[in-house]
Amino acid sequence: MSNAILSCRDVSINFGGVKAVQNVTLDIERGSITSIIGPNGAGKTTFFNIVSGVYKPTSGQVIFDGKDITNLKQHEVSRLGMARTFQNIRLFGQLDNVRNVQSALDARADYNIFDAILGLPKKKKVDSENLKTAMECLALVGLEEFAHDRPGSLPYGMQRKLELARALASRPSLLLLDEPAAGLNPVEVEEFIELLRRVKEERELTILLIEHRLKVVTTLSHQVFVLNFGELLTQGTPEEVQSNPRVIEAYMGEDEEE
Amino acid sequence: MSYTAAVILNILITMVAVISMFVLMGLTGIFSMGQAAFMCIGAYVVGILSTRFDVPFLPAVILAVLGGMLSAFLVGIPIMKLRVDYVAMITLAFGEAIVAVLNTFSNITGGAMGINRIPRDINLTIGIIIVAFVIYIVLHFKNSKFGRQCIAVKNDPISAASMGINVTRIKMTAFVFAGGLTALSGAMVAYATSYIDPNSFGSTKSIEWISIVFVGGVNSLSGSVVMACLFSMMTEMLRATSALRTMIQCIIILFIINFTPNGLFGEYEFRDIYLWLRNRFAKSGRKEEKK
Repeated sequence: MSNAILSCRDVSINFGGVKAVQNVTLDIERGSITSIIGPNGAGKTTFFNIVSGVYKPTSGQVIFDGKDITNLKQHEVSRLGMARTFQNIRLFGQLDNVRNVQSALDARADYNIFDAILGLPKKKKVDSENLKTAMECLALVGLEEFAHDRPGSLPYGMQRKLELARALASRPSLLLLDEPAAGLNPVEVEEFIELLRRVKEERELTILLIEHRLKVVTTLSHQVFVLNFGELLTQGTPEEVQSNPRVIEAYMGEDEEE
Repeated sequence: MSYTAAVILNILITMVAVISMFVLMGLTGIFSMGQAAFMCIGAYVVGILSTRFDVPFLPAVILAVLGGMLSAFLVGIPIMKLRVDYVAMITLAFGEAIVAVLNTFSNITGGAMGINRIPRDINLTIGIIIVAFVIYIVLHFKNSKFGRQCIAVKNDPISAASMGINVTRIKMTAFVFAGGLTALSGAMVAYATSYIDPNSFGSTKSIEWISIVFVGGVNSLSGSVVMACLFSMMTEMLRATSALRTMIQCIIILFIINFTPNGLFGEYEFRDIYLWLRNRFAKSGRKEEKK
């Protein structure tokens, strides 16, 4: 509990009559890799959107790094050290790849409008440092040779990596990955798992991920939470969760119904 | 001032206005249908200050720009959180409201009679200096964290916010910056024509600038500048054809859009084209060496 980087207390959100997430209480331990799994429509992405500030929960509390972030906006949450990727990749199509990564640094760059429009040395210095950092992040995921291409020209797997690099650029302490392996072929999945491991060690990250691929969940995560119909069904190690009859039921449906 | 000089000055004024529209629409994706209102504000600040208080050129222009920025800020507070289509509607209403206000408060603004006898304190040299300065600062704006954040917000606001970009604030920055630039073009109008009236700043002007930015290439400052120049020259050259003019202009625009859907320059600047050409010639040079 004391070592939790993220704790949610009774978090619920309703969209009209739809209870998308109900009374979810969970703690994410610092330095761990945690997965959230569940059938389609279980509220996983909605939960991510609450944590990262896209939605405000109807009730409940989200605490990140000891601070109450329940009512903070997205950019404020981001500045406290949380970064995320999206299920349907959301890159900036009109910026080249390295500028995509740099956008996270631009949001934190310390120069004002006069430095910018007059092209003063301070702006040049900060910008060239940020560009260098962005290149390092690209190199971390192995995309440095595509630095000046547009994201649209990259294959799907590389776009996923680019989104990861962009999320890493701000040096977050907690990284939320929304289905990072979706749409990747088996070889790319292997690569991505390896990459995540390496990145986690290098950057001392805590990773929270939504995933469908069992391979990713079982090989990577220390802890698994299962969501079903917006409620927390169970939690435990990957092995415990996999053998839990209620989880199997949620995924496969009940036996009697056949 | 000779006829040619007046025409060129007119082109320069359109350039400044179109560049301000480029900041809004090209970079940030804000459709401001009432941008001409800020031109109107700039022109009236200069008109009133120079005819009634004898304020000289430079301070009057600076006050005009500040006036444009202040009004953009005030208009921006309620609308910057709205979706793009609503922003278009509200700015349109604001543009028409300004014209109506100026028509009504005739004891200050001269009403529909406008303000005349503004000193012609501008000449070609000053005009060119202003345009050069505007291009310089907008190019730097585009290539700074502000420009990149604007493009990020235009491409995907949710993703931009998750990167830590304060979406409302960056939109506001662009809106105020553009408001200042448009007011600057208004100040130039006042000094260049020496007579201003509210009805020449309607939404038609704003829409004309929007189409120029579109045809020039939404992400390209070079495109906006070149197209502003071509468009104003076209207006001047086709003057003899009178009523047919609008039609001919529309046909030319449709042709350009048809063959280059991303606008004349697409997303490229002069610099990119120069680099591309240099690369190409360097390559062909190398091939010949091999042979």
